Amino acid sequence: MASVPHEVAIPRTYGVSARTQRTFLRIATGVILLVLWEVLVRWLAPPFVARPVTVARALPHVLANHLPPGTPTFWGAAEATVVASAEGLAIGIVGGVLVGLTMGRLRTADRLLRFYISTFFAMPIIALVPVMTLWFGYSSTVRLYIVALGAFLPICLNVYDGTRSLPASFVEVAQSYRARWWNVWFGIALPASLPYLLAGFKLAVGRVLVGAVVAEYIVNLKGLGSYIVFDSRTFHQPEMMVAVLFLALLGVSVNAAADLATRRFLPWYRRSE
Amino acid sequence: MSTNGAAGRIQIDGVAKQFGDLRVFQDIDLAIGEREIVSIVGPSGCGKTTLLRCIDGLVQPSEGEIRIDGAKVTEPPRGVAVVFQHFGLFPWKTVYENVAYGLRLAGAPKDQIAESVARHIELVGLKGFDKAYPYQLSGGMQQRTGLARALATDPHVLLMDEPFASIDAQTREILQFELLRIWESRPMSMVFVTHSIEEAVLMGDRVVVLRGRPSSIHEVIETGLPRPRTRDVLSSPRFNEVREQVWSLLMHEAEQAERELQEVR
Repeated sequence: MASVPHEVAIPRTYGVSARTQRTFLRIATGVILLVLWEVLVRWLAPPFVARPVTVARALPHVLANHLPPGTPTFWGAAEATVVASAEGLAIGIVGGVLVGLTMGRLRTADRLLRFYISTFFAMPIIALVPVMTLWFGYSSTVRLYIVALGAFLPICLNVYDGTRSLPASFVEVAQSYRARWWNVWFGIALPASLPYLLAGFKLAVGRVLVGAVVAEYIVNLKGLGSYIVFDSRTFHQPEMMVAVLFLALLGVSVNAAADLATRRFLPWYRRSE
Repeated sequence: MSTNGAAGRIQIDGVAKQFGDLRVFQDIDLAIGEREIVSIVGPSGCGKTTLLRCIDGLVQPSEGEIRIDGAKVTEPPRGVAVVFQHFGLFPWKTVYENVAYGLRLAGAPKDQIAESVARHIELVGLKGFDKAYPYQLSGGMQQRTGLARALATDPHVLLMDEPFASIDAQTREILQFELLRIWESRPMSMVFVTHSIEEAVLMGDRVVVLRGRPSSIHEVIETGLPRPRTRDVLSSPRFNEVREQVWSLLMHEAEQAERELQEVR
């Protein structure tokens, strides 16, 4: 038998754990990008264009709400956006779970609704903002509808998928213990679909943040969207960048929290990573 | 020979099942007594699992009727529990919660659930695994959980749907004798569907052999083996005799099917 040169397959870690190495590489990429941003802007762009150093300098007074009079305050704007997004997510989760379960368990509901829900899902919802301002006026109602729809559609379709892929054996077991339809829906189909619900939630977070910010741009509502528009039009680019980074951080941390919740509360659902 | 005709806890009269054009089985007449284990064997596809589902009311027969304690079965009756080949454990529930499932659905009071679940987890030898999830258990342990879940509802009829078919041979033998031990401590009506002839003979007071297409009861054999059954039964002459009898009945069928295939070619 030929000997296998197995030492070739073992990655060299130079005495550092693989995890430390991965973290180091990740940070290195970030530092390189920041340096490139700084250098390119200094070299090529007019002085008002934000670069890492000016953003870092703007950070303390933005976060302390020390802004020129007449400009929107950062935390006020952040609060408005976060609260509206949370409301939209809450409505989307409740509605998405109910409609998704119904479509997954009732063939009639599936035939009536799924085509339209899939179509709305494929469509950019924010394209509806202008027409919604005609229906609901320039009010926060528009933003609420946009974020609620943005959360509802992916959660509904994911819960539907989860319910459809429910093994028939689970339903049979439940029925043999005399489960009624509501026991099957909420006691079997819903918990079995939780991994799908979480995947839908992560999609929803992205859509909700985009929806909220765009609605705030167009409708000019108090929020990070209008804060960004105002600051960029008044040449406060570093201050604006703080809001952009905050939004990025918000999206990333909500998704990380969802992953953490999956590991903590759905230990039976083993992710293939 | 029909035992306990009138005293049968489960009464199956002229039952047939048809799926579209496919007639699976017909003319099934069987009475199963209060403390009797009846094994059902037959070639794969003979509808033995479907028959079991009819007895639990999960599937309705196309003809005839099934009565349990005199009441016609139209939906899963109280006091009847099934142990499935696929275990049917809910992956998001712990062992404890899986075992408690039937009692919770029945709306049992909390302290009764806690007492019964703990007792049955111990009975099937899973003490200390209350908080484990199914994916952390071996196949044998998963089926022990399935058995505990069925027994926790305190059934007087236990329907076994090839319960040990997907478990490795050694564990299967251990579980067979544990099931017999549990049955001795609380005898009840049991229908044991299996494709293993040895298992059918070991468990059953009678072995029902299904044959034909559509299948029907070809023969009912009294095993006449003593209870409580221990490992000694496996080496007794009577066990071998019955096993050979069932085997020849089923082999005849298999050979005939083979011959028909040859003729078609």
